[in-house]
Amino acid sequence: MSEKSSTAKRGAYLAAICANKQIGERFYRLGLEFSGAGAEAFAKVQAGQFAQLDVSGAALPPAETIPEELADVAGRKVLLRRPFSFVDVTTKDDRTLVDILYCVVGPATLRMTTLAAGDSVSIIGPLGNGFRVPEGKKTALLVAGGMGAGPLQHLAKILTADFPGIEVIAFAGAKTAEELPFERQLDKIAQQLEFSLPEFAKYGVQSLVATDDGSAGFAGPVTDCFSEWLGKSDSAGESTVIYSCGPEQMLTRVAEIAKARNIDCQVSMERRMACGIGICQSCAVECRVAESNETIYKLCCEDGPVFDSKEVVFSS
Amino acid sequence: MEEKVDISVEFAGLKLANPVFTASGTCGYADELSDFMDVNSLGGFVTKSITLRPRKGNATPRIVETDSGMLNAIGWANIGLDAFVEEKLPVLEKLSCAVFVNIAGETIDEYVAVAERLSGEQAIAGLELNISCPNVELGGISFGTDPSQVSEVTSAVKKVVGEKVLMVKLAPAVTDVSVIAQVAVDAGADALSLINTFTAMVVDIETRKPVLANKTGGLSGPAIKPIAVHLVNKVYNEVAKSLGIPILGMGGIRTASDAIEFIIAGASAVAVGTANFIEPGCAVKIIDGIKKYCVRKNISNVKDLVGSLDQDLTE
Ligand SMILES: Cc1cc2nc3c(=O)[nH]c(=O)nc-3n(C[C@H](O)[C@H](O)[C@H](O)COP(=O)(O)OP(=O)(O)OC[C@H]3O[C@@H](n4cnc5c(N)ncnc54)[C@H](O)[C@@H]3O)c2cc1C
Ligand SMILES: Cc1cc2nc3c(=O)[nH]c(=O)nc-3n(C[C@H](O)[C@H](O)[C@H](O)COP(=O)(O)O)c2cc1C
Ligand code: FES
Repeated sequence: MSEKSSTAKRGAYLAAICANKQIGERFYRLGLEFSGAGAEAFAKVQAGQFAQLDVSGAALPPAETIPEELADVAGRKVLLRRPFSFVDVTTKDDRTLVDILYCVVGPATLRMTTLAAGDSVSIIGPLGNGFRVPEGKKTALLVAGGMGAGPLQHLAKILTADFPGIEVIAFAGAKTAEELPFERQLDKIAQQLEFSLPEFAKYGVQSLVATDDGSAGFAGPVTDCFSEWLGKSDSAGESTVIYSCGPEQMLTRVAEIAKARNIDCQVSMERRMACGIGICQSCAVECRVAESNETIYKLCCEDGPVFDSKEVVFSS
Repeated sequence: MEEKVDISVEFAGLKLANPVFTASGTCGYADELSDFMDVNSLGGFVTKSITLRPRKGNATPRIVETDSGMLNAIGWANIGLDAFVEEKLPVLEKLSCAVFVNIAGETIDEYVAVAERLSGEQAIAGLELNISCPNVELGGISFGTDPSQVSEVTSAVKKVVGEKVLMVKLAPAVTDVSVIAQVAVDAGADALSLINTFTAMVVDIETRKPVLANKTGGLSGPAIKPIAVHLVNKVYNEVAKSLGIPILGMGGIRTASDAIEFIIAGASAVAVGTANFIEPGCAVKIIDGIKKYCVRKNISNVKDLVGSLDQDLTE
């Protein structure tokens, strides 16, 4: 997964929905099945890559089930595709199963909730560059904010499967226990200070939880939890790599922590995307030019979404 | 019957295999689309706007979705003339469809410099002049809204383009688009393309700020289609038809039916824009759909469809 050339050719494919399970008040896990060329293209997806889903044809859920704060936007017709990364990718015979973890925030994700087994969706992907594993790393630290936990679960799986010499530890944060996008035992999380989330534990990865309101795990931002842990740890800077995905404000803080300790750090950026394939130029990420004060705009969809944190000029 | 249908068109002296283009800014420099379609199956291809010097473009957010449309404020982010000639022209050279390079500028000299440099390039069939740009020498007023500016920039560029087809792309938000169209043709335009996007705004009511970093952006997509069809028909009837000037019609085209509406209204060819983002290969389906329509309607030559609207809209 460190070579871009290992990435399968992107294309437009039809995927069959095999599951769409609600796992929290706002969280769902969508299971997609690809066959044929799509199965081949998605079999070798890197963690952190993404795909563009066309859910414009999906129905709205019944009006009475639409959260009040989304009632005004619910009826808006969805025109553009929406970008999503993957929480898990598995191959079964000649098919590829791709899972997406998503949060209901607007018209497209509202419509996604009504997709059911037997439906199909058009998907463009796999797109962008995922997380890379630099040479000589012994420790990988995964820092997730909110929905960022999705691609980092996928990364945990790949790291533990393909890089047995690397120890992986995950940090997952959200505003409240309810907003942690994990399937099981949220009540248990709330009771324990340091809890190994089953989603990471199944790959043998230890995890720490943080919530801003203290309703689960560490009380405070996940970056504080992470920074505190780093302070106590003895893992050497040069053999460690940080992978982070979440709100930009959180990524900014993670990048600062990494810089202060001189640790390699890769961040997954989010931008509003129209095309996802490098055509529209809507997804600009401001980046430093090496050895100069200049900045340029790179494209989140083509050059990212995963960037070296030193390169990015964060906007919040 | 299918084989007998001729969907090739003449466009300002160019012989095109079919009347379907992809629109500037929505299809990159061609290679980006090649994973999804054979770009050579198009009638024509228009690059994104090229400026004399590279432009970084605007801060983000650069786009926002609206009801059946989207706003964009990319800020003409592009690699600039030199890099375009060096890196992108070799790719475009290999295309067999008609290649138009869209050019933009902030001064007339800039337009002329870009046009002059490109006019000798074999790979290019013509230039599309994006006049929806602020004229910095006139305090930022858009070239495209002022007839005298349209005339000046068109004739200045015409002087340097030689044999290349000069197409002027009209901005829709003007008092009378036919006045601008007439001025452009008088100043030397061989073809007209319309419409460009409408300047628009979306407000975030939580922050009470515009969603786009640039505050305003251009509205495109299905939302603008009926207006675009009307404006194409108006320019066809009031200017283009009598002068034999072809129109490249665009605005919200997603399907063959959409494209056919424009052709009936007076467009000799059509361009697919925003729809490329949703279905990057949709132009191929549109070409096929036009052919099927002709078969179904017993139209042996798509040229017979151009401007075939039986009722004039003109007052
Ligand atoms: C590379 C990438 C990977 C992503 N992966 C996932 C994922 O795995 N799971 C998931 O739930 N979501 C993911 N997202 C975000 C997801 O694409 C949006 O939540 C979705 O497009 C919202 O669509 P909507 O119509 O429901 O809401 P909209 O009305 O489009 O958006 C709701 C609000 O969210 C904000 N927003 C929307 N899109 C973006 C964006 N791209 N960047 C910043 N703010 C935005 C806007 O402020 C908007 O008001 C990803 C985004 C990117 C760019
Ligand atoms: C993201 C985006 C970028 C665009 N960039 C350009 C451009 O660089 N130059 C130009 O003349 N028109 C540009 N356009 C306008 C389109 O070429 C077209 O005129 C307009 O979008 C209407 O067609 P549509 O509704 O099919 O998109 C752009 C449109 C979009 C959506
Ligand atoms: S989303 Fe279109 S260029 Fe990145």
